[in-house]
Amino acid sequence: MKKPVQRDLFPGALEMMILRTLKRQPLHGYALVQHIKRTSDDLLQIEEGSLYPALQRLLKEELVKAEWGVSATNRRVRIYKLTAKGTKHLEREVSSFEKMLEGITRVLSPGES
Amino acid sequence: MNWLKQLFSRRQRYSDLSEEIREHLEEKVVELVASGMSREEAISLARREFGNVALVEEDSRSVWRWHSIESIVADIRYAFRSLCKSPGFTTVAVLTLALGIGTNSAIFSVVDAILLRPLPYPEPDRLVRVWESSIKYESPRNVVNPINFLDWRDHAQSFESMAAISSLTTNLSRNGQPIAVQGMQVTTEFFSVLRVPPFLGRTFSSSDEIAGQDHSVILSYKLWQHQFGEDRTIIGQEIEVDGLPCEVIGVMPEGFSFPKINAEVWTPLPLARTEEWEGGRFLVVAARLKPGVSIDQAQQDMLRVADFTVQARPDYNKNWSANVFPMLEDATRGVSCPLWVLLASVGFLLLIACANVANLLLIRGTGRVREMAVRSALGAARSRIIQQLFVESLLLSATGMLVGLLFANLGLRGLLALIPQSAPLPRSEPISIDGRVLLFTFLASLLTAVLFGLVPALRISRVDLQNALKQGTLRGGGVGGHQTLRRCFVVAEVFLALLLSVGAGLMLRSFGRLIAVDPGFNREHLLTMHIWTAPSRYADDLKRSQYFDHILSEIQNIPGVQSAGSTHFLPLTDRVSGSCFSPADQPAPTPAESPTSQFLIISAGYFPAMGTPIQTGRNFEDHDNFNSPRVAIVNHAFVNRYFPGQNILGKQLQVCWNFKEPVEVVGVVADARQAHVEDAPEPTIFLSNSQAPMYFATIVVRAAGDPDQMARSVEAAIHYVDPDQAVSDIKTMEAVFSDSVSSPRFQAILLLVFAGLAVTLAMIGVYGVVSYSVSERTNEIGIRVALGAASRDVVRLVLQEALILAGIAVCLGLVGSLALSRVLQTLLFEVTPTDPATLASVCCAILAVSALAAILPARRAMRVDPIVALRYE
Repeated sequence: MKKPVQRDLFPGALEMMILRTLKRQPLHGYALVQHIKRTSDDLLQIEEGSLYPALQRLLKEELVKAEWGVSATNRRVRIYKLTAKGTKHLEREVSSFEKMLEGITRVLSPGES
Repeated sequence: MNWLKQLFSRRQRYSDLSEEIREHLEEKVVELVASGMSREEAISLARREFGNVALVEEDSRSVWRWHSIESIVADIRYAFRSLCKSPGFTTVAVLTLALGIGTNSAIFSVVDAILLRPLPYPEPDRLVRVWESSIKYESPRNVVNPINFLDWRDHAQSFESMAAISSLTTNLSRNGQPIAVQGMQVTTEFFSVLRVPPFLGRTFSSSDEIAGQDHSVILSYKLWQHQFGEDRTIIGQEIEVDGLPCEVIGVMPEGFSFPKINAEVWTPLPLARTEEWEGGRFLVVAARLKPGVSIDQAQQDMLRVADFTVQARPDYNKNWSANVFPMLEDATRGVSCPLWVLLASVGFLLLIACANVANLLLIRGTGRVREMAVRSALGAARSRIIQQLFVESLLLSATGMLVGLLFANLGLRGLLALIPQSAPLPRSEPISIDGRVLLFTFLASLLTAVLFGLVPALRISRVDLQNALKQGTLRGGGVGGHQTLRRCFVVAEVFLALLLSVGAGLMLRSFGRLIAVDPGFNREHLLTMHIWTAPSRYADDLKRSQYFDHILSEIQNIPGVQSAGSTHFLPLTDRVSGSCFSPADQPAPTPAESPTSQFLIISAGYFPAMGTPIQTGRNFEDHDNFNSPRVAIVNHAFVNRYFPGQNILGKQLQVCWNFKEPVEVVGVVADARQAHVEDAPEPTIFLSNSQAPMYFATIVVRAAGDPDQMARSVEAAIHYVDPDQAVSDIKTMEAVFSDSVSSPRFQAILLLVFAGLAVTLAMIGVYGVVSYSVSERTNEIGIRVALGAASRDVVRLVLQEALILAGIAVCLGLVGSLALSRVLQTLLFEVTPTDPATLASVCCAILAVSALAAILPARRAMRVDPIVALRYE
């Protein structure tokens, strides 16, 4: 199956960012994508649509749950919320990501033996 | 049951998703409008930033699916609908594929049952046949002398066990009803070599092999069933075998047989190193290799043992050696090459079918450019389109497979009906469409789907969106290359069809030559039947010779019989006997160094009955009886080979077969064919059955009318002389001849059928390409006609295309058939594989039918109305 985010991000990155964002506060799709774009200072060029397959995957894994609600601008929206399973999963992912990042940094940093 | 919940909540999820995405876009648009954009601009920008909405929805939904399976199920549903919508295309494609797949299944089932399947014994890889071999007579597979066999058995180290077999007709009698069945005399080891236990009772033990105590018999399951009513108490009972009471000690299991010899009874073969065995080679030897011993090792071992036999008895064994062959290879020799050729032919046929269907798919694809363009504009990835097209191909080939299996079933029945009962295949296991054949068919149809489906799928899925949608016509851009590809397919089809036709043409010509051979006798109005006299009742030579003479004179007296005679081996039944001989006025050389000749024991009536003329001297006469001086007749080939230009009449010959006294040559007879109709006549000595009587004979009766009508009265005449005499193989000589050429006839008919199908398919291909190109060129033709082209020119334009394609194929085909000629060489009789007449007529025929295939489209082109054609654009 085609994963549109793969072009710019490594697999699972978008999911991780979504979980991290939802950990701060429950959000609906549009707000979620705006938040990710804003916090990354538009460094990450993601198609807004690619959020939705990722959200469906998280729903399926039961890492998030969704409920219809009303947004601040009084729109009917589906609000996503981290589950307990999601919180645990995020912690694990972040720590393994940090390890990987550390490894990559060491290899890439010049001059040291 | 999480997945179950998911399955039922899916519809809700999908509608949630759609709504959510709609809200997302709306929210964005509202925001953008608020920042001062026009609504149109905002919608456009929102969509651009969002990406392909349909694709996103599809991807999101697919999270909940059992991915590929569901998309394939959907594809199958879609393919089914789309195939149903074009029933014409679907029918033609399915029938074409069914033809290709069905013929392959049918032929494969034969190849599998005869060549591929291991022999039906435990550890069949270790079974071999051992033969004597003679360099002098170019005979690598010669039957074996009994004393040599005993030496082999004692000295060879490579074999677990080794058995000797002598096959002969056996007369059975129970409650006074004589029947003649095929019997096998075997040494004790026979059943342990094959390792088949009996169904009832026991097999032979060494005590059965002692001469004088060998009165035991084993029955086949079939014989037990039909003649003894499945009587389990038969074990221990006595039945009469060749006039002697024998104890039934066992019944073999159903289906048990030895390759090429369909025996019904087995009796012991007592062998001893006695003088009477020194004289001939007549045993078939089967053996089981010790575990881990290879054929090569066994061969080396046997060469060593053969050296020993040469040293032990140089007079007899000089220039002789031994050969070891795998039993399966040995049993299927002679049929394996024709069968592989047939399998290759149906393989070609399948390839042609594939090319044809690929072409149909390409034409269909041209009409579907818009469909593909729309699908890809709606977000279908190319791989998704390929998958969908490929599923369509699979569906076609699966349907083709099912219909093909029906064809195969019918075809196999027809095919087996072509094999006469009396000239059976080397293996008696049943041939049917079984699991292995089904598996082969399944794999073949998968491969077929790849072959015909892949290229069109790749081509059709490569759409140029812009052009396809913009042009809006059905015959859109981006498919111009198809026609070249389709022409290549058609050239390949005609090429393969030509190869098959050349093969079929050669076989047909060869078969024509074969049946036109003058065998040296007149096979019309001849009735033949076999009799075997029990040695126990007619052991005395004089008594036996008088017995045969009596039978023949009784037959001679039947009204409607012109002449009656006997021979010990009937012509065209693959049987010859050989003997050494030497002129009696010279010191006799050793048997190994003497010249050899075929010999036949015949009665005086044989040549008149067969219609073979005496050239010089005389025929056997009544006064040449058991007590008169021994006489012989030789054939023309004998004189040519051994006494060219000499007067042979009156010469005395010492014939090894008949040691005692020399025979005087009293006549020379014209040549006739003996073993096979294709073998040139060999030097032959004829001896009189009245003077050197055999235990068996085939009676030949020349009838004034229909020989079949005579069978009853001839049989009655025999039973008048001896009511217990069993008679077998009652056939006209025409039937004997027909059976003897059944194998080349089988090959010629099948190849002809396959070539016919191949040419038909290829011509459908030519028709398709040409008629498509006519419809594509309607415009051009219109302009030509408008500019004054006559209809003759238009026809030429169309025919030219067909002929160029066929011409290329014919050139390639000529080269190809030269390359294939070596394969066919061994199957042909008096025809070279490069026979110019055959090649030329096949090429002309192919060009002619190609032109014929182009005639319909040419007529259509001729009727193109320039006004309509130009307005059409």
